[in-house]
This record gives sequence, C-alpha cells and structure tokens, in this order.
Amino acid sequence: MFGKGLITGMRVTLKHFFGKKETFCYPEEKLPMPERFRGGHLVIDYKKCIACQLCSMACPNQAIELKVVTDAQRKRHLTSYIHHMGRCMFCDLCIENCAIHGLHWDQNYEISAYTRDAFDYEVLTDDDRQYLKEVMEAAAANPAPPIVPKKPAAPKPAEAPKPEPKKPEENKETEVKPNE
Amino acid sequence: MAGTETYTLNMGPQHPSTHGVLRVQLELDGENILSAKPIMGYLHRGIEKLLESRTYVQGVPYTDRLDYVSSMNNNFGFCRAVEELAGIEVPERAEYIRVIVAELNRIASHLVFIGSLAIDLGASTGMLYTFRDREEILDLFNLVCGARMTFHYIRVGGVNRDVQPEFIEKTYKFLEHVPVFMEEYKKILLGNEIFMSRLKGISKMSKETALSHNMTGPNIRATGIPYDIRKVDGYSVYPRFDFNVVTGKNGDNWDRFNVRYNEIFESAKIVRQALDGLPEGPFMAKVPKVLRPPKGEVFSRTEGTRGELGFYIVSDGSTKPYRVHIRRPSFVNMQGLNDMCRGYLIGDSVAAFSAIDPLMGEVDC
Repeated sequence: MFGKGLITGMRVTLKHFFGKKETFCYPEEKLPMPERFRGGHLVIDYKKCIACQLCSMACPNQAIELKVVTDAQRKRHLTSYIHHMGRCMFCDLCIENCAIHGLHWDQNYEISAYTRDAFDYEVLTDDDRQYLKEVMEAAAANPAPPIVPKKPAAPKPAEAPKPEPKKPEENKETEVKPNE
Repeated sequence: MAGTETYTLNMGPQHPSTHGVLRVQLELDGENILSAKPIMGYLHRGIEKLLESRTYVQGVPYTDRLDYVSSMNNNFGFCRAVEELAGIEVPERAEYIRVIVAELNRIASHLVFIGSLAIDLGASTGMLYTFRDREEILDLFNLVCGARMTFHYIRVGGVNRDVQPEFIEKTYKFLEHVPVFMEEYKKILLGNEIFMSRLKGISKMSKETALSHNMTGPNIRATGIPYDIRKVDGYSVYPRFDFNVVTGKNGDNWDRFNVRYNEIFESAKIVRQALDGLPEGPFMAKVPKVLRPPKGEVFSRTEGTRGELGFYIVSDGSTKPYRVHIRRPSFVNMQGLNDMCRGYLIGDSVAAFSAIDPLMGEVDC
C-alpha cells in the first residue's frame, strides 16, 4: 500500500515527540568537558617555566609570540606570552612539546569575542608579573660573575684592530619572532 | 515554428544542497539537464603547499582540514605514508586503536551522508536523527583526544595517547546502540515511498563509466565492483578482521545509499572485533624528535570514507617534505557528476550531488 512507509515514519517521530528530550538548554545547562579537552585559553605554570621557547617553535602556525628577558643571574624569564588564538588550530603540539609539562588548556569552550584584538590573548597574569619582578630584583641583588671571554688559541696577525668583544648586556629584552 | 533554447544555470556556490561552496554549471533544456559541469576552487587553501613548509609532525593537523567529517581517516593516511617513508614500525596496540577510531569515524561520516541526503530530498527529520547518533561518536572522540572535529589523534608512529577504559566501555555501549538506531532509520527513510522514488533508478552509472572516471569508495561499490582498499591492499591490521565488502547492483542513487547504510554495520563489526582483540603494549613507536626521512618518495593509499585516499610524499632528506600530493577521493568522484546528471531532471541533480557525497574541503584541498 502506498503511504504505509510514511505512516511508519510518522509513528517514530510521534514516539520521540512524547519521549525523552535529546537536547540541552545550552546557556543555562552546560556540558562538562572531558579531561583531555583541547580548547580555551592557555594556562602556564609560570614558576616552573624555563623560557625555553619550545612551545613557540613547535607551533605549526606561529600562533605563540614570546618575549624573553635574561636576569642578572643569566636565567631566562618570560615577560610576555601572547597566544594568537585566531591562528591557533588547537592541535596540542605546544603542550606536548613543553619541556616541563607546565602548559595546559583552561577547557573553556566559550571563547568567542567581539573584536579581532581580543584573540591576541596574554597568558601571563598579574601574579606572574609580580613574581617576575621579585625574581629580577633578587637576581640583581646577587648577580652572577661576568663571563670572561675566552682568548683565541693562536693569535693571528691582525691587520686592523679587532672590535672589543661585547659584554653581555643585562636585562635586555629580546623578542622572539616566529620563524617565517 | 518556434524552437526551444538551452540556457545555463549556475547552481551554487552559495546553494544549501551543494555541501559547501561547489558551483555547478547546469546546461538546461526546460527541466532536463543536458550537462553539469562542476567548478571547484572556492575553498582552496593550498594544503599541499602548507604541508611542504611544515615538518612532518607539524603537518598532521593540516590533514584534519581535508575531509573534515572524517579527520581520523586523513590522519591515518598521512601518518602511514610518513611511516613508510621513514621506516617506522608501529606497535600493534596503536594499529588496533587506529582501526577502531578510523572505523568509528567512517560510521560518523556515513551518518552525515544519510542525514544530508535526507535533508536534500526534503526530509529534515531524517537529518536530525542521524546527527543525534553521530553526536555519540563525537563524544567518544572528545573523550579520547579532546576534540570533536579536527582530531589530530593519530600521529606519526602511533597514536597521541592511550585509550581509557572508559572509552572502551562507552564504545561497546555505542555498538549495542548501532542496530537500534539503524532500525529507526529503516522505519523513517528506507520504507518511505517518496524517498524511494526520488532515488531508485536515478543517476544510473555502469561499471565501465565508473571505472573510466576513476571513481572509488562507496560510489564504485554501488555499481557492483567490490573495490575496497582494506581488502585489496590489506593494510594495517585489517586482514585480521572479518568483514564484507558491500556492493550494489544497479549503480543508481538507491544503491549508493544502501552501500553506505550497510557499511555502517560492517564498520561496527570491525570495531567490535578490534575492541575484543585489543592487545596490551605501547601505543607509540620511538620517533626521533627531529624526523628526517631518507631521500626517496612514497605513495601510500588507504580506504578513506569517500574512497581511495592517497598521499604522495617526496623527501629530500630534510625535516620538511619536498613535495606532497594528495589524491582526494571526493575530487576524483566529482568527475562522474556530468554522467550522473545528464538526462535527468533538475530536481535529481541535488540527489546526485548528495549521493556522490563530496566534501568541499577535500575537493579543493
């Protein structure tokens, strides 16, 4: 009989009409995300970070922009960690490459924003900056001995007077540009 | 006496039933289609070139963006090619996990096919049911790799992380659910007279035409040729599993639908066998941090959801591939569109696009 299949289909629909709802009322009800969920903003364990820049180098899309400073004890610290979320693919390679396992996601999936500038997210918090200030001051109070430049093994007959070896400049901010 | 004139109609690129930004130039005589010419390139992102400027490991997330409905299969294909090039031996557990996730992704992709075919033919209810069940698979993937679309789970040398016991348990639960929801689709779609008459006998294609267009995947199996790379090549651990290659008879849209419908059962069978036989051991091979495959070239093919997915990689011994070419099944299958549309009515062209199941991310690459 033509139309029998239609009626069978309608019966299924009707059953679901009175059955259990499959959907959530999203903004009021939120689904919990699993532990491995990749998404949201990056969170860094600043006290553990050694500013090795491996995360920035592992990124396939140059989404991580770092600024690194060297303190008086010749230890590197981050002064700025900008996550360009517009470029980010959330591929997790930065987190997997972290040498100290100090990088993870905050698992927030509501990361939409009104402006494009809002996607350049600064990962470091005010607490991190305060910590950096303290560390820098502590290092300045107790500086490491300056590096003595090694003398060349065999003195060559110099035609022109050589420029003096540059002293390592302290507190110089170096910007790490993503390698193009 | 006044004669009739043909006219050209541009269907797309912004057309809801072209699955993305495909433009089809239809040559019409009244309502009859004289020719259909697919015009691609609206979603071209240059993924092949992007892969050439990234290291092998960094390239894997880009393959997610090819066929974004079945990313696992793309990851699988690319990683297999790189492993063959670099001579990396993948642990057995990793192979099993790969097969499990790839087949689950095949089910998810076929569910999208059924849903989008239904909505293209005007049955929006059918789409909602399939997307509801696809959600279960996406939740499984979210659990195991933390993403719902672009997984980046299969890596060069194995998989990213080991599967949790929770994942295995939930996958078993999902497999028990498969016959239940398939029965529901049967009631809603397969028995529906309108659905049947829109598909049966439409866009017929002979074996010879399909072969001459180099069609692969469910599209060629619908014409009756049992061509499945999983059987033909027997790559990975597929030879250990018992499954059938589903084929059609007539090569019409109804067969294309039925092949995919029945392939869901076969994939579920593979997943169950793989879960039962999941061995213990490492899930990742030892891959050097800086991967420098020796000089040479490789062409590796796998059975993607839409057909034969091939990766051709040339290595010059450095950290980045010298050349990558991707044989995308959707792109090749699109060549059959003209033969599938010619002689049928304009309303059937929508069914023909859907039945090819092209994905614009893969067509334009």
